[in-house]
Amino acid sequence: MSNRQRSQGRAPRRLVAMGGAMLLLGLGLAACGDDTERVTVGLITKQEDNPFWVTMREVAQDTADDNNVELLTATGESDVDVDAQVDALEQMTEDGADGILIAPTDSEDVVPAIEAAREEGVIVIAVDTPTEPESAVDALFATDNFAAGELIGQYARARADEEGIEPAIAMLDLAPGIASGQLRREGFLEGFGIPEDDPQIVGSVDTEGDEDKGRAAMEELLTSNEDINIVYTVNEPVAFGAIDALEEAGTSMDDVIVVSVDGGCDAIKNGVRPGSIDATAQQYPENMAREGVLAIAEAARGGDEPSGYLDTGLRLITGDPVADVPSEDVPFGVRNCWGD
Amino acid sequence: MTAARGAVPPAQEPTRARLVDRHLVVPFVLLILCFAAWGAAANLTDILVGVFRTVFDMSNFQSSLVQFAYYGAYFTLAIPAAVITRRFGYKAGVLTGLGLAAFGGLLFIPASQLLVYEFFLLALFTLAAGLSILETSANPFVIAMGPEASSTQRLNLAQAFNPVGANIGVLLGAVLILPSLTSEAAKTIMSSEELRQSQEQDLALVLKPYLGIALVLVLIWLLIAFRKMDVATPAGVEEVPVPTGSVGSRLWANRHYRYGVIAQFFNVAAQTCTWTFTILYAQDVVGISPGDAGWYLQASLILFLVSRFVMTWLLGLFRPTLLLFIMAVFGVVCCLVAVFSLNLLGLLAVVAISASLSLMFPTIYGVALLGLGDDAKFGAAGLVMAILGGALLPMVHAAVMDIAGPALGFVVPGACLAVVAWYAVFDLRTNRSGGEQLATVV
Repeated sequence: MSNRQRSQGRAPRRLVAMGGAMLLLGLGLAACGDDTERVTVGLITKQEDNPFWVTMREVAQDTADDNNVELLTATGESDVDVDAQVDALEQMTEDGADGILIAPTDSEDVVPAIEAAREEGVIVIAVDTPTEPESAVDALFATDNFAAGELIGQYARARADEEGIEPAIAMLDLAPGIASGQLRREGFLEGFGIPEDDPQIVGSVDTEGDEDKGRAAMEELLTSNEDINIVYTVNEPVAFGAIDALEEAGTSMDDVIVVSVDGGCDAIKNGVRPGSIDATAQQYPENMAREGVLAIAEAARGGDEPSGYLDTGLRLITGDPVADVPSEDVPFGVRNCWGD
Repeated sequence: MTAARGAVPPAQEPTRARLVDRHLVVPFVLLILCFAAWGAAANLTDILVGVFRTVFDMSNFQSSLVQFAYYGAYFTLAIPAAVITRRFGYKAGVLTGLGLAAFGGLLFIPASQLLVYEFFLLALFTLAAGLSILETSANPFVIAMGPEASSTQRLNLAQAFNPVGANIGVLLGAVLILPSLTSEAAKTIMSSEELRQSQEQDLALVLKPYLGIALVLVLIWLLIAFRKMDVATPAGVEEVPVPTGSVGSRLWANRHYRYGVIAQFFNVAAQTCTWTFTILYAQDVVGISPGDAGWYLQASLILFLVSRFVMTWLLGLFRPTLLLFIMAVFGVVCCLVAVFSLNLLGLLAVVAISASLSLMFPTIYGVALLGLGDDAKFGAAGLVMAILGGALLPMVHAAVMDIAGPALGFVVPGACLAVVAWYAVFDLRTNRSGGEQLATVV
C-alpha cells in the first residue's frame, strides 16, 4: 500500500474521530463542574400526593442536583399530620442538615420543634404557610394571599363593570382562623372595592377548601339567592364544586363570573381554558422550593442568612382579559401550572 | 431543501461501480459532514421559535419570524446559489456556502451580547443563506465524485446523513438549551436587572450549539480549501437550468406540474408548521416542561425517518398518488385530533403527522416532473423553490395561535395537507401512467 493510499484510508477515520470529539466537546460545555462546598437541605411538605407538594419536591430536587446540595425529604400523612413533621425536623437536624424548608401543617404546634432545630444552628424557612408567631422561623417564602385575593377582586369588578351587571356576590371561604383563607377574602373585597358588610355580598359559607363542601355551599346560597352572578372561591376545588351546583341549577356559566386562587393544572385546563372559571390567581410552589434551597445553600456557604418574607410570585390567568388588570393568557397558565 | 425536509434521492440503480474516486474519499466524507451540518442547523431552528418567544417575551407571530428568516434565505438564495456553482464550480460554491454559513453562526456571538432579536434573525438569515449555497453546490458535487453508475448510491449515502444531522440538531436543543432555560414562573419574582441577567444566560445557551456548528463548518472549510479536488462534470449531473420563455410556458401549461408546485408549497408549509410548533403545542396545550417537550420533536423526526423506509416499501404495493392521498388524509385527521383533543392524545397526533409527511416531498416531486423531459431540470428548481411555503405559513400558524389559541393553530397544517390530498386526487383522476416509475423515487 502506498503512502498516499494509507493516508486516504486513515483520513476518514481521523475525521470521524475529530467530529466525535467536537460533538463531545459541545455536549461537555453544558456539563460544567461544581467545586462548591456540599450542603444538606431538608424539605418537609404536608403530604405525599398533592400536586402542589409534588411540584415543590421535584423542583427542590432539581435545584439541589444543580447546586451540589444533598436534599433530604419528608412528608406527613395529611394536611394536619403534625407528628410526622416534628419527627422529620428532629431527624434532619440529627442528620446534619444545614437548613430546613418546612410547610407547617399546624402554624403553632410545630414551633417548638422548629425552635429546637434552630438552637442546633439549623436555618429554618417556612414555605407556603407561615408559623405563629412568624418569628419562629428565619424567613417565610410564600404567596401573598392578600394580593391573590385582590387580583381576582379587581378582575371580577372590571368584568362586572364591562358587562354592566348588578353584582350579587357569593363568598365561598376556607374556614375561620386560617390565615391564608382570611387574607384571600380580605384581598378580594379590597380588590372589588367593597367593605366586609356590603349588601352586594349575598352570602358567605366556609368550605374547608373541599370540592363537595363547595358544591353544598353553593347550593345553599342559590336556594336563597338564585340571581348570584359573581362567585368568589378560596381555591379551585371549591370553584369546581360551585360550578357543578350552578350548572345543576340551570345557570349558564356565561351569566356568572367565577374567580379563584391556586393555578393548578386541573383548574387551568378544565376550568379556565373552557371558561367555567373566569380567572384564577396562579401561585408558584416551584419558586418557594428553588429560592428556599438556594437561600439555605448560600447561607451555609458563608453568604447572607435568609430573613423576612419573600413573595414567591403571582399571576392572574384568564381567557377573557380586562382592561387595567394585568393578566396572562391560558397557554401561560398551562406552561406554569402544577400537577398534570 | 434538506433531506429531512424532503430531498429527493434519485432512482435506485443496481451497480458494482466504485462508490467514490479514491482521491476524493476525504472530500466526500467532508461533504457528508456538510449534509449533516445543514440538517442540524435546520431543525435546531425549529426549537428556537419557542426559545425566543420566552426569552424576548414576544408573541408567537413575532417568534415565527425565525422561520421566515431561515426559509426566506433558502428561497432567496436558491437562484444565486445555482449561479455561483455554475460560474465558479462546485468547490467554490461549497466554500462560499460554508464560509457564509459559518459567518452566520459566528454572528450569534454579537447577537447574544446585544440581546437584540433582530440581530438573531440576521444571523439566522446569513446562516441559512450559506447553507442554501452549500446545499446547491454539494448535491451535484457529490454526484461528480465518482463514476456515473454509482452516482445515485453516492448521493443517497450522503443524503442519509442529513436526517442524522436533523436529529442531532434537535438533540442539541433538547439537551443544551431547553432544560436550562429560565422558567417563566421564576421570572415572576425577578427584578429588571435579574430579568436581564436571565435573558443573557438563556441566549448564551442558544449561542453554544450555533457556535459549535460554526466551528465545525470552519474546520470543514479549511479542510476543503486546502485540498485539491479535481472533478469532472459527468453526464447526468444536473446543470443549472436557464429558463427560457418557451420552457416556462410549457411548464405552466402542464397542470400536473403547476398544481405540483402548489402542492409542494403547502407540503413544505405543513412540515415546517408541524415541526416548528410541536414543542409549543406540548408546552402550551398539554403543559409538558420545556426540557421534556423537545423529546416529542425528536420522536417526530425519528418517526419521519422510519416512515420513509416503510413508505418506500408501500410504494411498491400502491400507486404513489393513492398512498399520497391516504397519508395526506391521515395527516389532516391528525391535525383535527390536535385541534380538538387538548391533551396527550392531541400531542401524539401532532407527532404522528410526521408519518404522513414522510413520503410527500419526493412523491409530489416525482409526480409533478413525470414526462417533462428536458424541461424537468428547470421544473425541479420551481419545485425546490416551493420551500417558500416553509417561510410564510408558519407565520399564519402563529397568528392563528395568538388569536384563537395554540391548538387551533393546527388547522393551518391541516389545510395545507388537504391541498396535498387534493393534488393526489387530481392525479388519480387524470389517469396518467408511470406509477411504477414513481415508486422508485422515494
